[in-house]
Amino acid sequence: MEQFLTAVFAGTASGSIYALVALGLVLVWRGAGVINFAQMGQAMFSTYVASTLIMNGYSYWIAFFVALAVGTALGTAIDLLVMRPLSGKRGSAILASPAMRATVPVIASLGILGILQSAAGMIWAAEERGFPAPVSTLGLSFGGEIMPFTAFDLFVIGIVLVTLIITTIFFQKTGMGLAMRASALNPEVARLSGIRTSSVRTLSWAISGAASSLAGLLVTPSANLSPNTLDLILIIGFTATVIGGLDSLPGGVIGGFILGLVISFVNVYSSPSDIFLAILALLLIVLLVRPQGILGSKEVRRV
Amino acid sequence: MFKHLQTGNALKTVIFFTIIFYLGKILDPYNQGQLSVVLMYFVGILSITFLTGLSGQISLGQGALMAVGGYTCALVVLNLGLNYWQSIIIAVLASLVAGWILGITAARLSGPYLAGTTLVIALAIPSLANRFESVFGGDVGLSVDFGNPPEWLSSAVGEIGYEQWQLFATLPFASIALYLALNLFKSRTGRSWRAVRDHEIAASLTGVNVQRIKIFTFVVASGFAGLAGALYGLRGIVGPSVYPISLSLALLTGAVLGGLRSIGGAFIGAVLVVFLPDLIEAISGSWELAPQISNYLPAMVAGILLILTVVLNPAGVAGGLHHHKSRHK
Repeated sequence: MEQFLTAVFAGTASGSIYALVALGLVLVWRGAGVINFAQMGQAMFSTYVASTLIMNGYSYWIAFFVALAVGTALGTAIDLLVMRPLSGKRGSAILASPAMRATVPVIASLGILGILQSAAGMIWAAEERGFPAPVSTLGLSFGGEIMPFTAFDLFVIGIVLVTLIITTIFFQKTGMGLAMRASALNPEVARLSGIRTSSVRTLSWAISGAASSLAGLLVTPSANLSPNTLDLILIIGFTATVIGGLDSLPGGVIGGFILGLVISFVNVYSSPSDIFLAILALLLIVLLVRPQGILGSKEVRRV
Repeated sequence: MFKHLQTGNALKTVIFFTIIFYLGKILDPYNQGQLSVVLMYFVGILSITFLTGLSGQISLGQGALMAVGGYTCALVVLNLGLNYWQSIIIAVLASLVAGWILGITAARLSGPYLAGTTLVIALAIPSLANRFESVFGGDVGLSVDFGNPPEWLSSAVGEIGYEQWQLFATLPFASIALYLALNLFKSRTGRSWRAVRDHEIAASLTGVNVQRIKIFTFVVASGFAGLAGALYGLRGIVGPSVYPISLSLALLTGAVLGGLRSIGGAFIGAVLVVFLPDLIEAISGSWELAPQISNYLPAMVAGILLILTVVLNPAGVAGGLHHHKSRHK
């Protein structure tokens, strides 16, 4: 029973981080039509910045908000420097077909990932370093009994829930959120009704950058920080978005929690080396049974 | 499929074979080894040329299909007692089957779904190797011996070094791959791939069975990838570290840099990816950079080249040449 509870709590905490990663991926997919494989590269980079600040004596919270700002700036820069010029290239023969318009940005994002990882390697010497948690990562104790969760687990779940609530309010209640939803649904109509779709795209990249750097800050205390550590998190986050439905924000979040629990149970009841097989099996089952994901909408084909 | 095998293609293949063979005789052992890696990458990149360039499907997990080829080859050598050359044929057949299975799953997917799924498949390879350690040899992998150069070859060329033998053993397979690729490119199948890539619905209206064509692309691409993987085994070992995820990404980088849509581009891309670290070393060697900088320089340069290519010249080096040529006609 205790093993079971440990798996549930650990799975919920890590699941909320995967939900955050999935949120970042879905935002950019809906806003810009790109799966951003560089996302956790951005997170890694901003977490290194935070780690360097902390090592130089700044407080956790200063480092925390600087990292969010760096994440936002990186997301914005990627759109302005790479993705926007790329989408202006529609006339070129390679980008003429929809298939290639979905493919080429993926390749560009892999290039960005390579640059971010090698830049981090050059600047921070690729040494593995730990990253502090703001609260204890030991099991909480109530009345002498050790609980199957830690203060940090609660902190992670809390901060992710707050983020999800803010995001929901932003999309449902604000004009900018409405503009983003409209551009995702139908860019052409949105443009005709006076929405500056290119700014909306940049905003998606910026918010996604902030969400992923938050994920980086929350996941590194339980792993070491190195240029490649977060690659695995991206894969898990991506699988979460596919399971939930690539174009659905709540879907991605649900997918994140499902994966968190599955991985946690594999970890506790089998061995960590089976994680990839579990992810692959889950992914294949979803793709075969319900290719559009749990909450995704079925793609409408237009001639 | 091959209704009109063109003599021009045979000639191109013979010229290719002759030039590489000649280079193999004059280069030093290190570059002989590098050149054999170029050939292996060339075959691997061809699989991406077909899959992504011609049919518009992206795979980040070609390394996994290469592993199918490599492991099959090694297992057949070790368990069935065939020699390496017979095993390569079986390995290619096994990869065709793997590609067919993958294709059935993947034909339903497009763009980002496919990219992510293939990536996860590639990442699951080491787990599989560890799960069935007694068969696949775990993290260490399986060591293979591909034999010594035959008498007639040594007597014709003189004494053959280890790297040179690797190169000469790879060359015939790379040439066959080139010949098949040249013919496929111009064939009816090649045209229907392009049709599906450019407009799926229009293609299906003209009678192309889109689903079947997509699966067939995977089968062909997988055959090339499997061959490349089996050839990589000629370096003596087949294991998870031989087919890492970075290999899949390097192949994709080469394909894009050289030019996604041409066979020449695939070769240029292979040369670029394999020799880029050497080139950077030669240029930056005198700058006395700190090791942490020089270690990451090739990856940095590759990333920058990749983005510049995609944004400024999406057709790659070969596409650029082609464009230049046609403008001056």
